[in-house]
Amino acid sequence: MFVAASSAGRLPAMSTTQPVDPESATGREALAKMLAAARREFVTGIERGSGGIRPHARFSDSVDELIRTVVRAAHVHTTTPVAVVAMGGYGRRSLCLYSDLDLLIVFDGSIGAPEERFVKAVLHPLWDLRFTVGHQVRVLSDFDELERDNPEYLLALTDARPLAGDAQVFEAVRERFTRAVVDGRAEILAALLQLTEQRHERFNHTIYQLEPDIKDAPGGLRDIAAARLLLSLLDAPAVASAIERDRLDEAEDVFLRLRSLLHLENGRNLNVLTHELQEKAAERLRYPGAQSQQRVEGLMGSYFRHARLVAQALARARRLPGLEVREATRVTLGLNLELTADGIAFVDPDRAAVEPASWLLAFEAAFEQNAAMSDQALDVFERHASRYGVSELLPRAEDRQRLLRLLTPRRGLYARLSDMHECGLLSALFPEFKAIECRVIRDFYHKYTVDEHTLLTIRGVERIATSDTPGRERFRAIHGELRAPELLVLALLFHDVGKWKDENHAVESVRMAQPMLDRLEVSPEGREDVTFLIREHLQMSRAAFRRDSEDPVVVRQFAALVGTEERLKMLCLMTLVDIEAVSTETLTPWKEELMWRLYVDTYNQLTLGYGDEVIEGGQAAADLQASRPPDIAEGELARFLEGFPRRYLALFRGEQIYQHVRLSRDIRADQVRLFLEQKGEVWDLIVVSRDKPFLFSNISGVLSYCGMDILRGFAMTSESGLVLDAFQFTDHDGYFRFNPDARDRFEAMLQDVVAGRQDVSEMLRRKERGALRRRGPRRVTPIVYVDNTYSQRYTAIEVVAENALGLLHRISRVISHHGCAVELVLISTEGNKAIDVFHLTQASAKLTEPAQVALKNDLERMLEEGYEAH
Amino acid sequence: MKLIKSIVRPNKVDDIKDALDKIHVAGMTVTEVRGHGRQKGHTAVYRGKEYNVSLLPKMQIEVVVADEMLDAVVQTIIAAARTGEIGDGRVFVLPVEQAYHIRSGERDVI
Repeated sequence: MFVAASSAGRLPAMSTTQPVDPESATGREALAKMLAAARREFVTGIERGSGGIRPHARFSDSVDELIRTVVRAAHVHTTTPVAVVAMGGYGRRSLCLYSDLDLLIVFDGSIGAPEERFVKAVLHPLWDLRFTVGHQVRVLSDFDELERDNPEYLLALTDARPLAGDAQVFEAVRERFTRAVVDGRAEILAALLQLTEQRHERFNHTIYQLEPDIKDAPGGLRDIAAARLLLSLLDAPAVASAIERDRLDEAEDVFLRLRSLLHLENGRNLNVLTHELQEKAAERLRYPGAQSQQRVEGLMGSYFRHARLVAQALARARRLPGLEVREATRVTLGLNLELTADGIAFVDPDRAAVEPASWLLAFEAAFEQNAAMSDQALDVFERHASRYGVSELLPRAEDRQRLLRLLTPRRGLYARLSDMHECGLLSALFPEFKAIECRVIRDFYHKYTVDEHTLLTIRGVERIATSDTPGRERFRAIHGELRAPELLVLALLFHDVGKWKDENHAVESVRMAQPMLDRLEVSPEGREDVTFLIREHLQMSRAAFRRDSEDPVVVRQFAALVGTEERLKMLCLMTLVDIEAVSTETLTPWKEELMWRLYVDTYNQLTLGYGDEVIEGGQAAADLQASRPPDIAEGELARFLEGFPRRYLALFRGEQIYQHVRLSRDIRADQVRLFLEQKGEVWDLIVVSRDKPFLFSNISGVLSYCGMDILRGFAMTSESGLVLDAFQFTDHDGYFRFNPDARDRFEAMLQDVVAGRQDVSEMLRRKERGALRRRGPRRVTPIVYVDNTYSQRYTAIEVVAENALGLLHRISRVISHHGCAVELVLISTEGNKAIDVFHLTQASAKLTEPAQVALKNDLERMLEEGYEAH
Repeated sequence: MKLIKSIVRPNKVDDIKDALDKIHVAGMTVTEVRGHGRQKGHTAVYRGKEYNVSLLPKMQIEVVVADEMLDAVVQTIIAAARTGEIGDGRVFVLPVEQAYHIRSGERDVI
């Protein structure tokens, strides 16, 4: 920082013996020749592919000579002591072919007309030579205090190097600035971090740009300068600092070679390595490969590798003491893990190196402690990840479950997955991901490599889940309702892996995801969701932006594609983050609005309009017939399906449907058959019976009486009057856990209630009163919405209310009391909010206007009374 | 020379672009816009809550053409953008007084 003047007295003047008068025609010609000769020499080096650090320094030296010539001639205008100083990149002697010249002119005395003539005499010849000059003119006393409101200038000053003029003036500047820096170090650091942050923001904080700006992009030349400045201002350990500086020097040499080629090809100060220039640069720099694409991949691989080194060096420099207030203590976390100032580290890294199954525990700890992963731990992974396969990293079922849980969207997910990716662990856990490492797809709109685009989609989900970005609340609410958000992340991780091939990548991605789904033992339902999302990940943007999404036919087709609200929600979020991760400009509020409207229309179609679409043959039904087990006859299956909504086929897999057929076989009126299965914390209940008044109310009443918290479910009625109810619930009070004969008692109670031998309303009344007394203040304002237009066959009643014991029973009891037949029901619970949609008829027709009003009023009264009772 | 400004359904942009290509009109500017005409939006309901969607997402396509091409281009846009339903959009024609090429500074003869 701040190069000292070589000697007292006058700074070096030009070495030529011939004085040059820049104001004369011959003088201007002489200067032009000097510059042309310097550029020629530089260009020769660039064309040989050796335009790195040294040629930049040599060119800077030549321009120094030129400026000294100009300054010497300008001295005729003033006797005030003055120093001319190079700043910024020029101060660092990295002046490129068409770089700007950042100059500082400092007078030891006030600035009057003679000094102004001096400044003009320096600048005019440089402008005539077509230099873009960024100049600052100051007097010595200006350096008594830091110019805190000019961070760019402050940073450029840290690279100040004397060029010409009075060495004592420069020394005085250096002394004063150095003194001011001691007092104002915090301001300089803050300015540096702020400018770096603003610059990175322009590039979406990623080094993986398909057409990187060699100078400004994260991991580029400016970051090298920033890292060096941090190392010099902070207390970096000498050894670490030397290693870091070597890495930065190596990266700088690579980047300067590229930048000099860009200047040569563009003929001006442009630093973006476009696709076209990548081809030229790869050829000039002699990257191996018979085809241009191979050479470009070699070039970009080298670029990304070095950019990553720079980004890591900058990140490490930012963690140096003096910049962050950090706890020096270590906290032992057990299992060979500790929390250090650097983040999660291994107590014994050698032991960790031979225990790969413990590595995910370190990431789990990072999430739990809200900490980063330490360099030490990342180093262990980087050095040893290639030695292990999935079976060693995830030997047990619980390890595979842990990996799935780690994918849950939350703060730090993108950072941890990026850590895994950088050290090679992500490819070890998901070998399929290796196919898209640094993969470049050239098109008009993608800005990042495929792997980085993928990780950015996950960052998008993390941001939706964790931040309160205005306008995003509606998508955040959707995320909050997902049953298994980790599956969305898993699908995102694989949605573009097929892009290693230049064909239909969604199909290839689905193919590549199957072994992963096998390895992780994802549940059958989860597999289908992940596969669906990967296969159809482009369909929502097509429907929203390329088709007329206001057309009900388009909405119906899209609803048929997604099938269920859960998949709609996942696909909606997936589409949103996929578009957003293409570039910072791709997702506009306009597109978000179109997406939201399609989401709402499709959601309404799935919840309010699905009853009109009943199974009448079709491919799905034909597939069911084709794989029908021998004990089920073709006619039996066809009769069973007839009249059920098509949605039924989207909700259940083949073997589940065959089981429903068996349950319904020869079922009599008042008879109830059920199938109960526990899946972790959640119970699945299927009830098959013949339709009758109060049936749904009675079944939901029994569940509530037994203390079950109904999470979601539905009821459907076929044309033959067969009713199939499906519930998912949690056994809050341990009814099934603590009572050995609970299943038999539950079934017997259900039989009695449905047959009318017991009155579940009476049984529930006392329980409800107790529960209502225990309720806190209302957090959800109840809504009863009646829609009589969406469906041709049914009146839909949507009830949104605070979840409570027996709520579903009470709602359906009111409905039945109004003489309405419950034809279809959708039940969902999102946090403390219950959302139930009933499709009703009255005397086999849609409800009349007065009937709708009466029912709505009674439902609203019932929901209010619940609170009045409280 | 005329500026043709069309407000169309978002999904119609590709159709219009293809149709204009066929009559050798290649240059256009496309902008995402929101607004309403007679269509005036509608009220959507999500989980029982109404929200007004009076400003509808549309695309604005701007094309500058020679006077003699005007009718053909307008008719082409209308044919490609029409569905026959309310909300198909509008086409406006404005006079262009002067036009320059930024790269060369050259002025078009109008």
